Amino acid sequence: MNDTVIDPHTFDELQATAGADFVVELVDTFAAEAPTLLAELHAARAAGAAERFRRAAHALKSNASTFGASRMAALARALELGGLPADATAVDTLAREFETTLAALQALARQ
Amino acid sequence: MSGTVSPPEDGLFGRFEILTAQRQLRVDGQPVALGSRAFDLLAVLVARRDRVVPKEELIGLVWPGLVVEDNNLQVQISALRKVLGTQAIATVPGRGYQFTVAAAAAAAAAAVGAVQAARAPERSVGAAPRPARLLVADDNKVNRLLLCRSLELMGHEVASADNGHTALGKLRGERFDLLLLDLEMPELDGFALLEQRAADAALHAVPVIVTSSLEGVAQVARCIELGADDYLHKPVNPVLLKARVDSSLERKRLRDRQAELLARHAPDLPDTGQAAGALPESRRATATLLCARLGQVDTLPAHDTLELLSRWITLMFDAVEGQGGLVSQIGGDTLVAAFGAHRPAGGDAGAPGAALQAAREMGELVGLFNAERSAAGSPALVLSVGIASGEVVAGQAGTPRRSAYVCVGTAVQHAAQLEALATQRGGGVLVDAATQEALSGHAAAHALVPVALPSRSMVMQAYALGPH
Repeated sequence: MNDTVIDPHTFDELQATAGADFVVELVDTFAAEAPTLLAELHAARAAGAAERFRRAAHALKSNASTFGASRMAALARALELGGLPADATAVDTLAREFETTLAALQALARQ
Repeated sequence: MSGTVSPPEDGLFGRFEILTAQRQLRVDGQPVALGSRAFDLLAVLVARRDRVVPKEELIGLVWPGLVVEDNNLQVQISALRKVLGTQAIATVPGRGYQFTVAAAAAAAAAAVGAVQAARAPERSVGAAPRPARLLVADDNKVNRLLLCRSLELMGHEVASADNGHTALGKLRGERFDLLLLDLEMPELDGFALLEQRAADAALHAVPVIVTSSLEGVAQVARCIELGADDYLHKPVNPVLLKARVDSSLERKRLRDRQAELLARHAPDLPDTGQAAGALPESRRATATLLCARLGQVDTLPAHDTLELLSRWITLMFDAVEGQGGLVSQIGGDTLVAAFGAHRPAGGDAGAPGAALQAAREMGELVGLFNAERSAAGSPALVLSVGIASGEVVAGQAGTPRRSAYVCVGTAVQHAAQLEALATQRGGGVLVDAATQEALSGHAAAHALVPVALPSRSMVMQAYALGPH
């Protein structure tokens, strides 16, 4: 599963350059920060705040890319570039992908 | 004044370590050959590093009970600067010298920076880059932590800010060598910070690498237009990050070195910033110009020539600055200095007297030089000096990227011609009539003797210093 959710080459390189212990901390930070950003997506969409929505999607895309979570990054990028969606479906999809991504990252980081 | 040199405190000053018991100086852990007087002088300066130490006090402590001329002190200062770097001992015109390298521990980084800047030309291409102080501005915590970690692993000291306002405050309040800037930030974003930087000459000194995952060439172009040095897409490739950081720091180091040289040429001029700041206005003033040339240098082997010229220039800077003058030009074996153009000259006789005294000290220093060379079986060097007074226009000229302190006026040409005439006469000091007249009534005038000039000379009347 991990190979499809997380790009192993990117993750290995991250561990090699930043240190495995540090990557554990970084994953923990991602776990703490991402839910806030997902909540911001929901709130911005409900408020019709396109720029807030774009910024939150941009931040999630950036973080996902850092870990090699290319599927999550692609979903976030679609939100960033697509403007305010008509409903919350795409945000919910991203939130589910985040849960999958986080589980994969935590498993990889603690190997 | 006790007249004795108290033992220096053992201590680490940047790259330098003083070992009291062994009376030894180590640089980068390696012992350095240093004469006894030079070590005593270093000990005195280090013990009094919190203040400027007057020449008289230094001479009294290092040569207790002896009548010693200033030039002996200057030779020892020169010897120390060769080992420690030029900036390690500052000349404060009219007041004395001060040891400038901070003690180890908290100030070690600053000391290493200052001393390495002074030794910068010796650094070879490809050598390991030295640690720098970097600022990371990014509101995204994951990105910020990762970037800080990567830079720390490169050996740099890193501070961070989570928005543009905080970053700007830190840039204005602390010294940084490089800013890594995210574009998407709350309160003040990266573009706005770059705009503020563009309008503030003081902030130009800090290069900027933009790190962003914003897509599109337009964003990159806008950053470059606003003065960013480089752009890295996120996620940042660690190899590229290191290369770009090293490159930016190297460019900054070269710019700092250039600014340091400029400051040495015109220390009293306003700081023009590192890049596009406005140049200071020129000034019309009555000044005395001194043109000096060291002859016979071209007969030496290439390495000896450059070594000798470096030492000569250091000593001549001391002679000029010690009398309140400013060196405006170095041209290989020649040097031009202005007295009274941008700051008051020392002494009762004003600029002409200060220039004459500087020339006298130059002659004495070259005499000491020649005594050393004679002992080593080397041929003597010849110093020729021309001094002329008159109205000049002085100031900073050039482009914002490369400028120099310059003086323009008939007096400059006259000083150069008098130097050439002095060279034809086999060395010595020649002054023009304006300088001689300005000195009338002062003791210095008694040492000036009229000399015959070639019929086609541009200078109508000249006087030689001393019995030459």
